[in-house]
Amino acid sequence: MIGRIIDVFDRRFKFKDDFKKNVLDHPVPPRVNFTYCFGGITFLLYVLLLVTGIAAMFFYVPSVEHAFATVEYMTFDLPLGNIIRGIHHWSANLMVVFVCLHMLRVFVYGAYKNPREFHWVSGVFLLGITLAFSFTGYLLPWDQKAYWATKVGVLMPKSIPLVGDFITRLLMGGSDLGALTISRFFAIHVVVLPILTAVFLVAHFLMIRRTGIAKPL
Amino acid sequence: MPDNNMTRRKFLATGIGVISGAIALGVGGAAITAVVAPAVTNKREDKWVEAGNADDLVQGQFNKINIAYDAKDAWMEGKIKLLAYVKPDGDNLFALSATCSHLGCNVKFDEQSGKFKCPCHTGVYDATGKNISGPPPKPLSHLEAKIEDGKLFINTGIKEA
Repeated sequence: MIGRIIDVFDRRFKFKDDFKKNVLDHPVPPRVNFTYCFGGITFLLYVLLLVTGIAAMFFYVPSVEHAFATVEYMTFDLPLGNIIRGIHHWSANLMVVFVCLHMLRVFVYGAYKNPREFHWVSGVFLLGITLAFSFTGYLLPWDQKAYWATKVGVLMPKSIPLVGDFITRLLMGGSDLGALTISRFFAIHVVVLPILTAVFLVAHFLMIRRTGIAKPL
Repeated sequence: MPDNNMTRRKFLATGIGVISGAIALGVGGAAITAVVAPAVTNKREDKWVEAGNADDLVQGQFNKINIAYDAKDAWMEGKIKLLAYVKPDGDNLFALSATCSHLGCNVKFDEQSGKFKCPCHTGVYDATGKNISGPPPKPLSHLEAKIEDGKLFINTGIKEA
């Protein structure tokens, strides 16, 4: 039944063979080990974050007045809301861990070398985006930990000569950590960063398909 | 490629499929459940609010009753004020919400004509709460009322239209 529906579309789009060849039955060098999974695990975690993030957006309100109450509602009143929040929380933490493990593996294996320099460059951008996700997402529950951790974070760039003060004001949306900060962190977290991620992720994936993964040592 | 290799491939492919499917079902199911749940669980419930002494009610007349109660809308909490008209008739209590069905002003009972009149846009309801002239599209809401231990109680959980 499902196979026949897929076949109808395959007659027009011819994606079945390509999908099989490039995704399901893609040949990899011999003797690859489980450390080659770190990148894929990172991507899986990103997908989990997308799904749970979309669900959370049905309830979260990015305002000083409501943010904490909506998170509280989601956690304690909404059926399976704590699961959604829990998966988002743990996937976010694990994603940072696995991005670093992935990077470490690529570094140790020298997989960033010619012809894969730009794979590494796009990966560094993705690392930065991941950390930006973490930083902006941390503020959104608007509890004491979120507020003061973000306060510390946004004040760090202030020590940069000349531009530091402006960067801090740009992050906070003025001279106070408040209504403008939470709304801009929310916009960055749910719109700007996912789009940037999509761009760099597509580049990252297309390039690794062109060159194939590096052979084990 | 020998045949026994194929079985291992199949085994691994099935395993990966099952694990991926389980993750997709688990997370997707949780997400959909959370999003759909309020449609099922968020219902207006009976909420009986104490509204003064039964002795204060005048028989056979519409008594103006002010009620204030705590209400919760998901994460929003606040006080709701409601004006009601309660008419005791022997053991029966007839209660109407004074909220006009047009734009929500409080209607006033006019003793002379025996009708409810809305001060905002001249809506008129008869003594049973039926809309008889002006802009109101619907009758006044009927409220459940009861007397227990000498106190008047009104059910603020107005049934959905």
